[in-house]
Amino acid sequence: MALLVGALALGACGGPENEGVPSSPATQSGTMSDPHTMTGLTEAQSISDPTPLEGPITQQLPATVTDVEGQVVEVKRTERVLALDIYGTLSRTSISLGFGKNLVGRTVSSTENQLENLPVVTQNGHSLNVESILSLQPDLIIADRSIGPREAIDQLRSAGIAVVLVDSHRSLETNSELINQVAQAFGAPEAGEKLAERTEKEIDAALDQIEEWAPEKPLDGAFLYVRGTANVFFILGADEGAGALIGALGARDVATENGITSTTPANAESLVALNPEVIFVMSDGLNSAEGLDAILARPGISQTRAGANSRFVAIPDGMALSFGPQTGEALLSIARALYGVPGEE
Amino acid sequence: MRSSIIRRRVTTFTILGVALLAGVIVSSAMGQYPIALVDVIRGFFAHFGLTDPPKDPVVDSTLWSIRFPRIVLGLMVGAALGVAGGVMQAVFSNPLAEPGIIGVSSGASVGASLAMVFAPAALAGFGVPLAAFISGLAAALLVYFLARSGGRAEVLTLVLTGIAVTAVCGAITSMATYVAPTTARDQIVFWQMGSLNGATWTQVATVTVIATIGIVWAWSIAPGLDALALGENAAGHVGINVQVLRISAIVLAALLTSAAVAYAGVIAFVGLIVPHVMRLAIGPLNRYLIPAAMLGGALLITLADIAARNLIPFADLPIGIFTALVGGPTFFVLLRHKLRLGSSV
Repeated sequence: MALLVGALALGACGGPENEGVPSSPATQSGTMSDPHTMTGLTEAQSISDPTPLEGPITQQLPATVTDVEGQVVEVKRTERVLALDIYGTLSRTSISLGFGKNLVGRTVSSTENQLENLPVVTQNGHSLNVESILSLQPDLIIADRSIGPREAIDQLRSAGIAVVLVDSHRSLETNSELINQVAQAFGAPEAGEKLAERTEKEIDAALDQIEEWAPEKPLDGAFLYVRGTANVFFILGADEGAGALIGALGARDVATENGITSTTPANAESLVALNPEVIFVMSDGLNSAEGLDAILARPGISQTRAGANSRFVAIPDGMALSFGPQTGEALLSIARALYGVPGEE
Repeated sequence: MRSSIIRRRVTTFTILGVALLAGVIVSSAMGQYPIALVDVIRGFFAHFGLTDPPKDPVVDSTLWSIRFPRIVLGLMVGAALGVAGGVMQAVFSNPLAEPGIIGVSSGASVGASLAMVFAPAALAGFGVPLAAFISGLAAALLVYFLARSGGRAEVLTLVLTGIAVTAVCGAITSMATYVAPTTARDQIVFWQMGSLNGATWTQVATVTVIATIGIVWAWSIAPGLDALALGENAAGHVGINVQVLRISAIVLAALLTSAAVAYAGVIAFVGLIVPHVMRLAIGPLNRYLIPAAMLGGALLITLADIAARNLIPFADLPIGIFTALVGGPTFFVLLRHKLRLGSSV
């Protein structure tokens, strides 16, 4: 134990001094500290329910949709809809398109306030419970392959429900495409165009704002997936959208730069080699790991610059890698936590 | 004849000692955080005030908080598993007895996984190892009473009993995995694959205490086990309480196994391969076999761990994969050999 404490002390005095480059002068937000010398845990504020598009929605039903896997699906009615994915993006997209009241069930990832009282149709984490879905008598299911099992989707299809599969990738680039796919499933492609445009505009505004906040020399960040008290943690790579997220925040993803593409069970020493100066984690993951102190006590974490300064940014789970119509809002919220910008309220 | 066996013992122990020392040095010098050999040596001796510490404090911290505890834990785990295998083979009078094969490891998994699901933080973190010990011991006693007839365990009876016990334990572990929250599920899955990643000095201390007690105890009953090899009656005639000897051997084998698996998870086949190879080298006398198995087990784990933590950049492979890759075929060859000689041997 004494060794560990010694190590922490050593790490603490070795960390930040190489980073003495003063950042760009503080912006209009006033008393901003240098992001490179900030310490401690900051938490991103969770975002509110999405705002539906204004104006009447033109819906053309029945609609014939060719989904992302090439299946031709005929959507006749959209009175009772399920939008199911592991990220919660699809339910948020449905609400933004103005179909929030048509949703009749949800996954555990759909954390919107207005969906709170809807039945949850996943069990055991993220597997679909076919019978409970059928009992909701949905007309349309919008889902992707992030949720399964495969057989469940097949069974729902053979039960005569219109199942439209959409792309399961989440990133800045695929955002508009995904919104359009969802809108087409509702037979409302025009609403999709409008929402995609609104989303892109919000993202551009957010990126401009973030550019002002970000220091000239970008922060080195890494996204760790931590769950529970096991000695297992994963480095999230480019495939999970972690690289895109960190890049959009004006930081440098050290994992992507080192060629990590998929979720990698981290070797303790390799984390020291990556040496991020800020570590992103999901809020629930942080709680399940019994807090920041427990994570800092793990070999490999305290030796990094982020560990030495306890420089962590916690992101609410549903917001971290889901992108979708609220990407701009989410980016701003995370960037505020990252750069120590006071919130708007 | 006598002098030749003595020469073989001396040679074997010399080779083991030198190989182990070399293995530890190579292991210290290799890692995913690149550290020059000079700095490794300097970092090691600096802690005893013999040299100046390495210039970069991160190097020192990486060595003493990540790499060294892992190496020491590996040595302890390997030694414990080697000795546990040797003792089990003696008490079952059967060279195929091994914690992984006869069901002790899967028995330990039951306790560990239940503890991870229902009481992960019990007894200040010692709940999981303690539960692993209790259920591992229960499985060992069960196999002992089920597989033994007339003081011996026949090859087929032993292996088949092991299969039955493993099946039941596997079912209970699956059940625990099924009801587990995602956090505990990851932990159980990784625990069953075995890994030395994230070793801390606290873990090293716990395992060292238990393993030392177990190994000294094993060595002290080694002459009794040698007498037992001549048959129960012969052992009784030289004044050995056979029942007490057998039970204490089972308890200590379970103790050593659970000490090994408590933090490192299930690492199979070490207890099979190591004592077997040692028996080929120095003959069946337990008072020499047990210390040889101790060194051999430590050597095998050290080598396997070098592969586990260096093969794939940034990732940490489960060490159980490597021991099973070597151990599975060894077991097969041994089994064929034993069955060809006749199952009563």
